[in-house]
Amino acid sequence: MKRNRSLDKVIRPAVLLLCLMPLFVLVWNATTGNLSANPIDDITDTTGRWTLRLVMITLAVTPLRRITGWNGVIRVRRMLGLFTFFYGTLHFATYIWLDQFFGFEEIAKDVLKRPFITAGFLAFALMVPLAITSTRGWIKRLGGKRWQFLHRLVYISATGGVLHYLWLVKADTLFPLIYGCVLSFLLGHRLWTFLKPRLSSYREPYSAWRHLWLKESTGLDARAR
Amino acid sequence: MVIPWRGFPLRDLINRLEPTSHAKYVEFTTLNDPGQMPGVRRRVLDWPYLEGLRLDEAMHPLTMLAVGLYGKELPNQNGAPLRLVVPWKYGFKSIKSIVKIRFVEKQPVTSWSASAPREYGFYANVNPQVDHPRWSQARERRIGEFRKRKTLMFNGYADQVASLYSGMDLRKYF
Repeated sequence: MKRNRSLDKVIRPAVLLLCLMPLFVLVWNATTGNLSANPIDDITDTTGRWTLRLVMITLAVTPLRRITGWNGVIRVRRMLGLFTFFYGTLHFATYIWLDQFFGFEEIAKDVLKRPFITAGFLAFALMVPLAITSTRGWIKRLGGKRWQFLHRLVYISATGGVLHYLWLVKADTLFPLIYGCVLSFLLGHRLWTFLKPRLSSYREPYSAWRHLWLKESTGLDARAR
Repeated sequence: MVIPWRGFPLRDLINRLEPTSHAKYVEFTTLNDPGQMPGVRRRVLDWPYLEGLRLDEAMHPLTMLAVGLYGKELPNQNGAPLRLVVPWKYGFKSIKSIVKIRFVEKQPVTSWSASAPREYGFYANVNPQVDHPRWSQARERRIGEFRKRKTLMFNGYADQVASLYSGMDLRKYF
């Protein structure tokens, strides 16, 4: 397919700017005193929410491509993935620095004892190797197949992120469940495209036997028509 | 949180109402008006919001009904026109926008303890030694402060209120 370079020139800077918007808005609100009485919570919430949103958007690239046939969208996937990692890093840094103030003993206890922190920590830790190996050089070094297999870790990371959110809310589980539904669709779509050809090929031996049986019992060859 | 509330001791009101000897607990109910409070349109909790205190807790001089804060009238979001303030308990005990107060014989089933009995008890005294099942309650950040500080037993009012709970297992009655 011919690459539409002029479209590329517009889309990538546009996505870059869009992905930076949440950070600009947060910095703007922080410097103009528009955060709440608990600004550290606001920073944690905002960066966490955008990490989740961006991982969903990143995971939507492949289904979108399969459904619409628009292959060009793949060219923003790495940028979206790296922005997910960027907001995840800000979220993690807020926790380590602003929330816990580098109290590594407390942090270790949290990670081991609090399921929502365990899930969040895992979700973040799994993104690190993906960010490192996101370059062209690493794709070559690992080989396409192995690289792709490694990058399936994002499925576990995103699941960890949703659980992290679900387990930290007090009573209102609406938003975590919405993210859970979106993720289920995005992963379900992949499972479906993986299983579909395998399921239809399963019918092959069965239908071959059926034809043979029909031919033997009726003397008619349904295939010979 | 350290908030300069304006109000009066709850016990002044209780003394005027002269409850009978059957009054063992005080039960409070919040206004349930979806028109003014869009949040109650969704049944996150079993509205109306309900809280309660043991009568001796309600009669304690530190327990107050607030009508203002920071020298001003209570804004709606802080529980106008009348709210409870129980400074040695977690915030959810300090019920807002009270429309009903009842004296009852049995311990009221409070909203949060009905919603998540494993996580929220009737007493909800500030206690850094007893964690919420999902997170630590050992440290807190005061409004306006950057670093967290250690949470104190009974939120720093142990000398005034610890005697209310003498002999009680505070792990069991959290």
